[in-house]
Amino acid sequence: MIIRILQNWLGLSNKLERLWLMAKIEFKLRYYENLLGLVWALIKPISEIFIFYIAFEIIIKSNISNFVSFLFIGIILWNFFIECTSGTIQLLATKKYLYSYTNMNKLEIYFSVIASNLIGLFFNFIMFLIYMGIFEHGTYFTWHIIIIIPILINLIILSLGFSLILSNLYILAKDIQQVWGILVGLGFWLSPILYKLERFRESLPGIDFVNPIAGIIINAKNVTMYNQMPEWGLFIWSFAYSIFFLFIGILLLNKLGSKAAEKL
Amino acid sequence: MDIENSNDIAINARNISKTFYITEDNYNTVKNRLFNLFNPPSAKEIHALKMMNFQVKKGECLGIIGRNGSGKSTLTRVLAGVYPTDTGYVNINGSTMLMNLGVGMSHELTARENIYISGSILGLKIKDIDLIFDKIIEFAELSDFVDTKIKFFSTGMVARLSFSIAVNAGAEIMFLDEIFAVGDTKFQEKAIKVFEKSWIEGKTVVLVSHAMPVIQKYCQRVAYLKNGNLEFIGDTETAVKMYQDDDS
Repeated sequence: MIIRILQNWLGLSNKLERLWLMAKIEFKLRYYENLLGLVWALIKPISEIFIFYIAFEIIIKSNISNFVSFLFIGIILWNFFIECTSGTIQLLATKKYLYSYTNMNKLEIYFSVIASNLIGLFFNFIMFLIYMGIFEHGTYFTWHIIIIIPILINLIILSLGFSLILSNLYILAKDIQQVWGILVGLGFWLSPILYKLERFRESLPGIDFVNPIAGIIINAKNVTMYNQMPEWGLFIWSFAYSIFFLFIGILLLNKLGSKAAEKL
Repeated sequence: MDIENSNDIAINARNISKTFYITEDNYNTVKNRLFNLFNPPSAKEIHALKMMNFQVKKGECLGIIGRNGSGKSTLTRVLAGVYPTDTGYVNINGSTMLMNLGVGMSHELTARENIYISGSILGLKIKDIDLIFDKIIEFAELSDFVDTKIKFFSTGMVARLSFSIAVNAGAEIMFLDEIFAVGDTKFQEKAIKVFEKSWIEGKTVVLVSHAMPVIQKYCQRVAYLKNGNLEFIGDTETAVKMYQDDDS
């Protein structure tokens, strides 16, 4: 019965349909307008993996087993976060045509952009699983991999939170784009994407709790590559941390974003 | 406000007002924001709307008249829920759409995509949009340009498309800001015909116009604005007379 009520509600309201429609068009705008289409979504992480492989495995010899997969999973999660944040700073300006003529809820615009980025993430994640399953030695999948789902939900909440914060601050200060660019550049090197976890924690103690995306990447590696449970303390902390940012984001949307139509 | 007839109210505006603060120098950077945190540059206050109370009933056609700068457009945006009010509140009962020349469309998208997005925002389901899609295109006279991005359209084509979407999809509450200036004479005639035939019925319409004949023809009630004040709301003839007699 509950399912029927839910179906009824979903059927009557066109909200989900609209989200999907907007996400599809967003996705098309990003990938299908150019020659290679969806392949671009894959080329970026592959080129990055290539660069870091040369630097860290061949030159520095960091000796991490299955280094390509190790990089792969970290980089696609990181890139999703960047696309959802750097890519949406001007969201309220570029999507003004959606909300400045109707009373639509602005949150829907954010959901649709995240959904469109999720399409790319899923595509890359499947590529990652295929690569790991075929080319890496000594890796196998266990049920732990299912825990990637709550970890991805955590990442989505975090991305949405930062997306809301940045795009609403953009109304106040246009150069938030450059500021965020610098923070992201720093954040990449302070995230456990390239380094052995023990080394990372040893050199920068506590940073895995300060950097909101660190816990997500550490636990994603645990459940996909090492067939382990996530570190629950870090897992819960990451969730709470993300919800905190989402809360601030929604606060800013109500305070600043409601005036977007007249300020931008 | 009577509770018993609150279901008939499309828009309820209580104590709304709107002031714009316009700063003279541009200080939209992080550095300037921080430096000027305790010493904000002086801002010019523009009282676009001063305290007003009124309601728009469901199915009625309300006219808004007044001279340039009297707050007509600001008022429609506040009523449509696009701008927040500074004081009071606006209760909007249904989806709204604001129309002036070239509404709510992305120039990066094709006519088809714009129709689907706009239709969806106006509350239609995809399969309902499928049904009216051909009608929209035909009415807008754009059959050859369905999959062309509208940035390649002429101004007239964009205006026709948005008008056609509004006519065929339409929100429950429509705000029309000087829309009869769309397209060439022939299209205007067609637009007015459709407007009279199917539109007025059952829709709540707020009509902004400088053309008194249009206002007199369609509106049951008219609001007359002057310098952000609601001078009068009620009987159409009285409002039009006040507007025409005012020569200050």
